[in-house]
Amino acid sequence: MLSGAGWRYFGGRVVAGVATLWMVSVLVFAALHLVPGSYAEIVLGPFSSPQARAALTSEFGLDRPLVLQYAEWLRHLIVGDLGSSLGTGEPVTSQLVRRWPVTAELAMLSLLVTVVVGLPLAVLAGLARGRLGRGLSRLLGSSAMSTPDFVIGSLLVYVFSRFSLGLSGGEYVSLTADPLGNMRSMVLPALTLSMFGVALLVRTGRDAVVNVFSSPHVMAALARGESMAHVIRHHVLRNAAVPVLTVLGTYVGYLMGGAVIVENLFSLPGLGQSVLSAINGRDYAVVQGMVLVAAAAFIAINLLADFAYGLVDPRIPAGHRG
Amino acid sequence: MGTQLGEPVSVDAIGLPGGSVARRGSRSWRLPFRGDVLSRVGLFILLVFVLVSVFGRWLPLGDAEAVNAGPRLAAPSGHWWAGTDSLGRSVLPRLVQGVGTTFVLAGIAVLVTAVISVVIGMVAAYYRGVVGEVIVRGADVLFAFPSLLLAILLVAITGPGMTGALVSIVLICSPLMVRVVRAASLSVVGRDFVVAARVGGASPVRVLAVHVLPNVAGAAVVQATYALSVGMLIESGLSFLGLGLQPPKASLGSLVHEGAVYLPIAPWLVLIPGGLLALAIMAVNLVGDGLRDALDVRGVEVRR
Repeated sequence: MLSGAGWRYFGGRVVAGVATLWMVSVLVFAALHLVPGSYAEIVLGPFSSPQARAALTSEFGLDRPLVLQYAEWLRHLIVGDLGSSLGTGEPVTSQLVRRWPVTAELAMLSLLVTVVVGLPLAVLAGLARGRLGRGLSRLLGSSAMSTPDFVIGSLLVYVFSRFSLGLSGGEYVSLTADPLGNMRSMVLPALTLSMFGVALLVRTGRDAVVNVFSSPHVMAALARGESMAHVIRHHVLRNAAVPVLTVLGTYVGYLMGGAVIVENLFSLPGLGQSVLSAINGRDYAVVQGMVLVAAAAFIAINLLADFAYGLVDPRIPAGHRG
Repeated sequence: MGTQLGEPVSVDAIGLPGGSVARRGSRSWRLPFRGDVLSRVGLFILLVFVLVSVFGRWLPLGDAEAVNAGPRLAAPSGHWWAGTDSLGRSVLPRLVQGVGTTFVLAGIAVLVTAVISVVIGMVAAYYRGVVGEVIVRGADVLFAFPSLLLAILLVAITGPGMTGALVSIVLICSPLMVRVVRAASLSVVGRDFVVAARVGGASPVRVLAVHVLPNVAGAAVVQATYALSVGMLIESGLSFLGLGLQPPKASLGSLVHEGAVYLPIAPWLVLIPGGLLALAIMAVNLVGDGLRDALDVRGVEVRR
């Protein structure tokens, strides 16, 4: 099915992704060594004896050359060992396993809302011809793009609690214990996070739809008498898919940061909360591990988006575009 | 094209809007963003915010950090225009201080970003060999970090405070700006007037400063405007998480953070700074849109 050029495109993407991931790992490793104060001082406290510090330093091999330390760290990474929390001694991986379902559920719900609400709105905004419609969609899109997520979240919490609308933030219920209660506690966080996604999708999708609509083949299809619904499904959506996919890739990157803020605002026990408490507790191992995993996930998702481009638009792997 | 050999395209030719730059012939002052009402409104709001953030400290509004200046959690009224917070501090001067912090911090960070990125971007376009490749790959790696996570990694190193926020904004906004400036430069460095200048013996510094820079200035200005809004989002996000400017100093984000606990009983503590923040960022974005359309710049993007 794939031509030589297609294989080269997909292969090239994978190689580029792995190379980026490797450089990210170097950067994250270097970041930990830029932290003021030695590791022994952080673990043993500022009043520890020099002997104890020296013992710890040599026990963990921190007196060895940096390159060797990096190689050792990388070896552990590859077998899935992200180190342990400096505070509790719990392995970072077990914290990840415990916490990721909350964050993943939040991200999935937000993505779902974004696509379900944003896509029809983008098409509608693209079809709107009037001056008023364009101005209105620009104003709405611009305000949703500009309002920080924690402001949107606070506003939602305020409105829902002020008028007792039945949903509230702050009481997280796990999905397995009470699916309905879980949904109730997840709706507001997911809405908060999807606001930016919807705005982004409308903004980009609108331009894409307008562009496709002004191209000759759509004119021809309309002139042939094909129905509007048919034209939108077969000509517009498919051609608008590439910019929309790009935007969704960007949105996933935003989600990872946004999750930290929204989990904090709604007290959801996800990965964002553990990163935040790790920073406040100076637990560098946890920060390092989580940031690395998040960056890896982001790279992987963008790789998937690259693959999806290839499937949606065969011109890209063939090297005619992008 | 109106461009002569070796002659740089002047800012006028790019069509920079604004009263300060007279268009060819007409020297009369004209409102910027003709036919773009939203951008004009944005520009006006932005000017008000900038004035407040620069001169706000001299307004006679009272002390932003004086505890027990009034009753606790008083609602906005004739005497306490924006109410008081949980420590009995008047909120209005704190809001003014917060606006100042957010604008000044993001503004400085974006200036630094712009200078660094314009130089690096032009160099990457001019030396397309190893140097250019290294710069592009470096930008890609920074790009591979979701922005707030990069900020969090940096704050973990520097500790909570202003330095972390500044470095974060610079590192998050630079990759995109380097990319945009490089793309704009690439379309110029191959043109005849640049080649002629090089053949004529102009040094690389001269070629970049005199011949390339004026042609990428428009794209850089638009991207910098968007970077300002991203910078304000990052600063306020970090402050909201308690990782930005430390109390008792106020930023709009930290005001929302401090007020969040009292949301049900004292909503003004959250809604006023939150609303101001949204308004300020929106004004910046609208001005960015207006500049983009007026300068007819393509390829800039917003990332958050």
